[in-house]
Amino acid sequence: MMTNKKTVFIVDDDESICRALKLLLTAYGFQVSTFLSAEKYFSAIQDSEKGCLVLDLHMPELNGWEVLKRVVKTGSKRPVIIISADENGGLKEQALKSGAVGFFQKPVKDRELIDLINKTYLN
Amino acid sequence: MKIQRKKNIKQKRSKKPLKREKSNNGGSFRLEKLVADLGKTGKDLREKIQQQAVQLRNINLQLKDGADKQLKSDEKIHKQNGELKNGADKQLKSNERIQKQNGELKNGVDKQLRSDEHIQRQNGELKNGADKQLKSNEQIRKQAAELKNKKGQLKNEVSKQLKAEEQIHIRTKAMEATVDGIFIIDAQEPDFPVIYVNQAFQKMTGYSKTEIVGKNYFSFYGDASDQRVISEIKNNLLQDKVFHGEMLSFQKNGKKCLILLRIAPVHGTHGIVTHYVGLQTDVTLMREKEREIEDQREELLHVTRVGKLAEFVSSLAHEISQPLTAILSYAQAAKRMLGSKDPEISRILSYIVSDDQRAADVIHRMRSLLKKNRPEMKPLNINNLINDTIVLITTDANVRRTILKLELEKDLPLVCGDRIQLQQVFLNLISNSFDAMERNVEPREILISTAHKETGMIIVSVKDSGSGIASQNIPKIFTHFFTNKPDGLGMGLSISRSIIESHGGQLNAKNNPDRGATFYFTIPVEPKTS
Repeated sequence: MMTNKKTVFIVDDDESICRALKLLLTAYGFQVSTFLSAEKYFSAIQDSEKGCLVLDLHMPELNGWEVLKRVVKTGSKRPVIIISADENGGLKEQALKSGAVGFFQKPVKDRELIDLINKTYLN
Repeated sequence: MKIQRKKNIKQKRSKKPLKREKSNNGGSFRLEKLVADLGKTGKDLREKIQQQAVQLRNINLQLKDGADKQLKSDEKIHKQNGELKNGADKQLKSNERIQKQNGELKNGVDKQLRSDEHIQRQNGELKNGADKQLKSNEQIRKQAAELKNKKGQLKNEVSKQLKAEEQIHIRTKAMEATVDGIFIIDAQEPDFPVIYVNQAFQKMTGYSKTEIVGKNYFSFYGDASDQRVISEIKNNLLQDKVFHGEMLSFQKNGKKCLILLRIAPVHGTHGIVTHYVGLQTDVTLMREKEREIEDQREELLHVTRVGKLAEFVSSLAHEISQPLTAILSYAQAAKRMLGSKDPEISRILSYIVSDDQRAADVIHRMRSLLKKNRPEMKPLNINNLINDTIVLITTDANVRRTILKLELEKDLPLVCGDRIQLQQVFLNLISNSFDAMERNVEPREILISTAHKETGMIIVSVKDSGSGIASQNIPKIFTHFFTNKPDGLGMGLSISRSIIESHGGQLNAKNNPDRGATFYFTIPVEPKTS
């Protein structure tokens, strides 16, 4: 499906969040795909496919950190934005250090998220 | 005599025929016969008289003969009488002589008797003397025996006395050697004067014996001591009661000293209290150490409580943040889609967005309040940490009649970790084991062991013989709010796991083959020491 829309992949085990973020980002004109687990994302999306990954941290089985590690390890240039309900002063630094382009505390403000996604497309 | 008898016989015989005649009266025949008979009788008589005459003659002859013999005998008697008289004279003379001699003898005898009496008397006296001597000897013997007895008794007494003195000596030495302060107060004086103190008492108060003896015991607590406690002690003593308590006193140099004090009344022979004897122990260091341990316990408990609450809030916040995130995104999406078309709906959606934000802010503030302290990672010896933690729970273990066994591998390399957090994990595991063995029949035993694994990890395990874990629950026990305990929050193991994970290790559990469960965690060896 080739469009000019910017593509965003959302991985979060909370179905409602996936649905809400998809609605939101779609409203802003993004092409959005959601996955309820990391395994589903990896089996569906190739590294070469263009698109920004919005990733939750707390998930059963493969968690956000492990997904990030794996993405970075493959040498993919996919930008990863971490969103988490956890609140810890060190999380943002840890995320950026681990190769993420950004970190947002849930609930996420639409403007901040969209600005960052757009920014990743500038590069 | 013979003759008389014959006469009698003759009389009897003459009478008999007369009687017969009377019965045969008449007849000549009978007369003739009578005459014949008379003749015959006469003849018989004559014969008999002749016979008797002969007999008389014989008798006369015999008499004459007898008289001659008598005469001769008389003469002889006469002669004999003369001789007898002679003899009697001689006898008389001899008698006289004898009498004289007798008199003399009697005299001699009397003398002898007198002498005998004298001798007897003397004998008596001698006997008396001897008796007295005997008695005296006996007395001497008795006295000697008594003396010997007394000597024995005295010897006994002396050895008893020696033993008693030895005992007193030992007791005194012991009282002087003991590390507890000992003092004796005269109870019959009004001002509680001290009459004895041992060395430990002097050391404890800083005063010398000469400064103490005779002075009021209570003055050695120092001026700053609590007067209420002092009056309580005095009241107890005046009522003959034992006092047992602690007292903050001050040494001569003003140094604080917490003493454990026991004073008891000493009753004399008449039941009157004559003295008070006291024992005091310096418990300053002991109480300090206890307070230190108590402080550590408190700190750990506080950290654990705060940790539990923080974990609880964090967990709650996480769970609430998820729907808040969804709500916010829905509202923002809707506003984006409809906002420009209907300003009223746009305003409503803005309210939803701002209230969602408000809820998120509340959670954020709550989280900030219970912000977990950043772990202070330092190199530490895990065995020392375990030993220190055991001290904090020994009392608890005793109350629960649980034995804590340690099997700690020697010379373990150091690990890098936060002391308080690791103690928290360790305490949580032991506390769970306590609870798991609550219904156990004794023995209740917890085995704590450490080992160095080749993978550069140290493994710490806590093994109990409790009720174990239902196999279907093993995956759930480390999640939030899962608990088997009626008053449990279900936070302990989830916090423990997150602490261990933040240290780079893992916390797991398994059931033992026989009974109970083992919880074990790994923690990486500090790079420098591995």
